[in-house]
Amino acid sequence: MSEVMNNNPGESALVGTGVLIEQLLKGEFICRTTNEDGWRALKNAASRERVETYLNQINRTVASAAEGDVFFCGYLQLGEAERKVISSQFKDICQALIPLVEWLVLVQEASGQDAPLTEGAAVRLTELQTRIEDTPAFREQLAKLSQYRLFGSTSSNVDAQIKLVFKRLLELGYLTRPNLEKQIYIATGKLDYLYEVIRFIDETEGLSLEAQAETATQRDLL
Amino acid sequence: MSSNLHQAGVRLLRQLGRHAELIMDAYQAGSVNEGACEPSAVDKLKKAGILWRPEADQDLRLTRTVRAMLEEALSDERNRQIDANVGSALATIKTLASHYKEARSNVDHGAAEAYLADLSEHVYSFTESLAYSTRVLWGRINNEFGYVGTINAKIRENELAQSQVSELRSGLELFQFSELGEIAGDVRELRKLLVTTLQESLSRNAEELSLVQGRLLELLGRFRQIRGRTRLLKGWLLYTDLHPDYRPGDHVSHKQVPSLFNRAEALLAPAAVDVHNSQQERELMEMVARIKTISHSQVPPKRREHDVSVSLSVSEDFDIPDNPLKLAVDEYFCAVIESGKSQSALAYLAEQQLPWDSESWLYQVIGGYEGLPDEHKAYFELEPLGEPHPVYSGNFIIRDVELWLA
Repeated sequence: MSEVMNNNPGESALVGTGVLIEQLLKGEFICRTTNEDGWRALKNAASRERVETYLNQINRTVASAAEGDVFFCGYLQLGEAERKVISSQFKDICQALIPLVEWLVLVQEASGQDAPLTEGAAVRLTELQTRIEDTPAFREQLAKLSQYRLFGSTSSNVDAQIKLVFKRLLELGYLTRPNLEKQIYIATGKLDYLYEVIRFIDETEGLSLEAQAETATQRDLL
Repeated sequence: MSSNLHQAGVRLLRQLGRHAELIMDAYQAGSVNEGACEPSAVDKLKKAGILWRPEADQDLRLTRTVRAMLEEALSDERNRQIDANVGSALATIKTLASHYKEARSNVDHGAAEAYLADLSEHVYSFTESLAYSTRVLWGRINNEFGYVGTINAKIRENELAQSQVSELRSGLELFQFSELGEIAGDVRELRKLLVTTLQESLSRNAEELSLVQGRLLELLGRFRQIRGRTRLLKGWLLYTDLHPDYRPGDHVSHKQVPSLFNRAEALLAPAAVDVHNSQQERELMEMVARIKTISHSQVPPKRREHDVSVSLSVSEDFDIPDNPLKLAVDEYFCAVIESGKSQSALAYLAEQQLPWDSESWLYQVIGGYEGLPDEHKAYFELEPLGEPHPVYSGNFIIRDVELWLA
């Protein structure tokens, strides 16, 4: 069916915008990794305006984060009901922060990377799993984080724990898996959103997390 | 005098060639492993000023000049030495220019020529070293300081490069072309060297250096962002470890909700398969067909081809015994022909007291009629007797059939 539609370029643009709006309404984050065409459309003022006009009719708007590289759907005006939704979403993300940060640090340390995962970075599950299995400290960290409610693992086996964690992260949209036959996962823009949330909390509450981490590493070096 | 110098130079280069292995080992390892080398060779190299010992208890190392020559010739990326000492080069150039002018005004052609050669050498090597410095900087930028491992080291390397760039740029500002122009005066050779050559090279390099500086700042920003994120994550874990009861404040209860947290609820639920929807059957079947089975049980591989002995013989005759029901139906047809009257199939069944079930009898009669060749079929007329289904329109329930001659 789609082959028939794609014969007409005008119509396929319509199909593309349709998919984009659907994704936004599903609460998904649009970034270069998850939907490059949609991302380009939102980067372009004219096509973003089209999407915006559509969404405005149902009190939605296109919101962006991570210096305009990640898009999601927000409310245009906030009433009581909308505030409730936002408040519950905020609680959800706050609860997810600790497990997700622990996971990010584990991935970074286990793969010996300088940089934490950001949009577009690849994780090879089998490689990561071998490294975690070979190091008792990483095994412990995985066991601990997989038991958080966000992941909800009850298994004591590394294989089951890591598979479940990755499955949940796929469901939550922090990772995508472009090829279902390969165990390669790509980080999405939602992770960049997460960094921004942490930075927001850090700055608003004056936690000075970066300074604390720096003094801690300097203490370790001494 | 000059032939002595020539010979000494050739001797030095020969020595370098003869001990190439040793020198390259020292270059790569940083120092000479004296136990593994011939003491006489080491002695010779020491005397020639190729190797030296920084401190009494230290290993022998390559002298700076040899090292620099190798780094430059091999374009070794570890080379981060940049000669930013523009001031002394400028002073030398000015001095030589004055010497040359003096010799010229004294009409000492020999000395003037020697000074001019020396001056050209200095000007060209200065412009070359400038170009080389920029090339080294670009090399480091292009592989993003890949020769050091950690982000912190990259940031430090970047800062070193930045300081070298700013030193070079402030050094280049020392050049006052009006002053050089005055020194050159109306001497054509001097003007060419001091004004044309230097100015061209300087303006090209100054431009390039400002590009380098821009890129370095950009890279530094990226490195800092990466480091910032790592620290943010580590800091978060530290903080939550130290304060187990910590919960982020309620940042969405204010009148102005930060746009970061203004996320609408999902309007469209994720799709799920409806196995009862027959319209989706085709797509589902396709999906199921794409599922690959992975079986870990040990199944002996099937042999698809195996030898079968074939012998050719005359095929035996065989016949298919006639079905008695079919024969009975044939009888029924004959009875209709003989009587010439229409007869109900069930009535015939009862009359002849045949053992068949009435339903299979009806099926066989209908089947027998439909199975006749067209020319024979034309002799008969078959009419089903029954009534339409009371609920489902379009269905006709056959209770009996009647057969007669057409």
